[in-house]
Amino acid sequence: MIGELTRCGAVVRWSFLGTIRGLRVVGLAAFAFVPSLIVLSLVSVHSAAGTLANAAEGLFAELTLPIVVMVVVLVIAVAQFRNEIDAETLVYLSDRSITRPTIVLGKYLGAVAASLVLVVPAALVPLGVAELAGGTPYAAEVPLVLLGAAILAVLVYVAFFLFLGLASRSALIIGLIFGFLWEELLPMLPGDFPRVTFIFYLRSFISGVVPGGPLSGYPAAVPVPLSVATLVGIAVAFVVISAGVFRYLETAPGRESA
Amino acid sequence: MTGVVDAEEVTKRYGEVLGLNGFTASFGPGITGLVGPNGAGKSTLFRLLAGQLHADAGTLTLLGYPAWGQGGFRRRVGYCPEHNALFDWMTGEDFVTTLLRVDGFPRSEARERAARAIATVGLTEVRHRRLRTYSKGMRQRIKLAQCIAHDPELILLDEPLNGVDPLGRAALTSLMRELHAAGRHLIVSSHVLYEVERLTEQIVMVSNGRAIAQGDLHRIRELIDARPHVIDLESPDPRGLARLLGAWDHVVSIEFPAPGRLRVRSRSPEEFYRSLPELVTRERLDVQAVHSADDNLDAVFRYLSEGLR
Repeated sequence: MIGELTRCGAVVRWSFLGTIRGLRVVGLAAFAFVPSLIVLSLVSVHSAAGTLANAAEGLFAELTLPIVVMVVVLVIAVAQFRNEIDAETLVYLSDRSITRPTIVLGKYLGAVAASLVLVVPAALVPLGVAELAGGTPYAAEVPLVLLGAAILAVLVYVAFFLFLGLASRSALIIGLIFGFLWEELLPMLPGDFPRVTFIFYLRSFISGVVPGGPLSGYPAAVPVPLSVATLVGIAVAFVVISAGVFRYLETAPGRESA
Repeated sequence: MTGVVDAEEVTKRYGEVLGLNGFTASFGPGITGLVGPNGAGKSTLFRLLAGQLHADAGTLTLLGYPAWGQGGFRRRVGYCPEHNALFDWMTGEDFVTTLLRVDGFPRSEARERAARAIATVGLTEVRHRRLRTYSKGMRQRIKLAQCIAHDPELILLDEPLNGVDPLGRAALTSLMRELHAAGRHLIVSSHVLYEVERLTEQIVMVSNGRAIAQGDLHRIRELIDARPHVIDLESPDPRGLARLLGAWDHVVSIEFPAPGRLRVRSRSPEEFYRSLPELVTRERLDVQAVHSADDNLDAVFRYLSEGLR
């Protein structure tokens, strides 16, 4: 058991350090800074206190959560396996005595940690900027619920995109289609369609906790505990499925050097 | 079959292309050379043994365990892949230590073992440098370090001498002998028969995905010796190098196919490979890489393949 924890910990560290470096992460960090930049722009044109506070909250619901978090997590999670298979570096892990499910768990946790490094500031810095620049002070639960939503989003999206990266060579494209069509369009449809999206449960979680302001504008159709349980359950399910897929996955690229 | 590695009718397809085609061979204890031209199926066999690929048919075992599998027995196996892809952002020391941690070694033991393995391959002085700064020869050696650091019983080396400078080749060859002397079993692939022959008499020859011969190969060596062997060298001063090589009796021709490159044809490749490190050391030459073109070896393989069908 201790040996397996050591192995998993090594993969987490490896995965985290390998992700948080290079031009790709600089690009992602710049992208994650966009909501903060918008709030800074509003500050520079001397927007009213209420406008600043509402803008920061509204940006989280409409930009940070559905677009910034999704794209950042997509790029990070897909790279965990797909890039290493293509670069032939995955062999250094897969020919060791570590089990494949442990590799998947380690990669998942490493990707979650790396995503949080970028996503948490993207969620909280706009609030801080708005408040420091004289915006209406937030209720204590607002930053906490944003942090909670960001963490839940990272947990569920990393699990799903990690699975995509294992299952398909076109994971990035499929992920973008999922993020911009499935997650954006289905919530607009009537009936139970929104319930088959992750964003539905994330928004239910937010509006269930925050009673007023832009974040409360979504229907709290599902109780908060059920939203959290559903998202965590989906994340666990996709990690388990990924472990199953990886168990039978060939990790060498094509025949060119056979 | 009860070898260290046993393959029986192993077939691996890549779509329509056959990587291995009913490959049957038994690799005994000690050092075994796996020799064949590029594309013969050597790397496919190694990838199957490393658990990267799954055979479409046949049975493949190493140390008695099915090759497509994971678990404790993998700690008894070390694999040095042919390709040079590494985690370029890591230092050499971090690379080897992390892999030992992945193998379940506690932190302090992992560090000690990594330091020992890195010293064994002669990279102690550059162990704190990022892998992206390593030369091709250094990359080969750090790959070898990660392969032996956990003290495996069976060591799989896929083209370990490819692209390594003459002095590096001599050092790696000597290391392989030491590992053998320490009781390890090695399977070493190469498309250069002479490299492998200097290590062992046990050879499995592979061509078109099949084992075409196994065991004593003196007859084949004679066939190859009868044809000039083509060797490419990389050096900043190819003409200076050519003047010295041209004085050797067995060198029949020298060409300059590209700037910084030299193509030599030798009637005695064994003597060439034996004498080159001495010449490089004595004359303080800068020879950056040695490649053995395998076109004449191909001809022998074709001859053998047709003869054995």
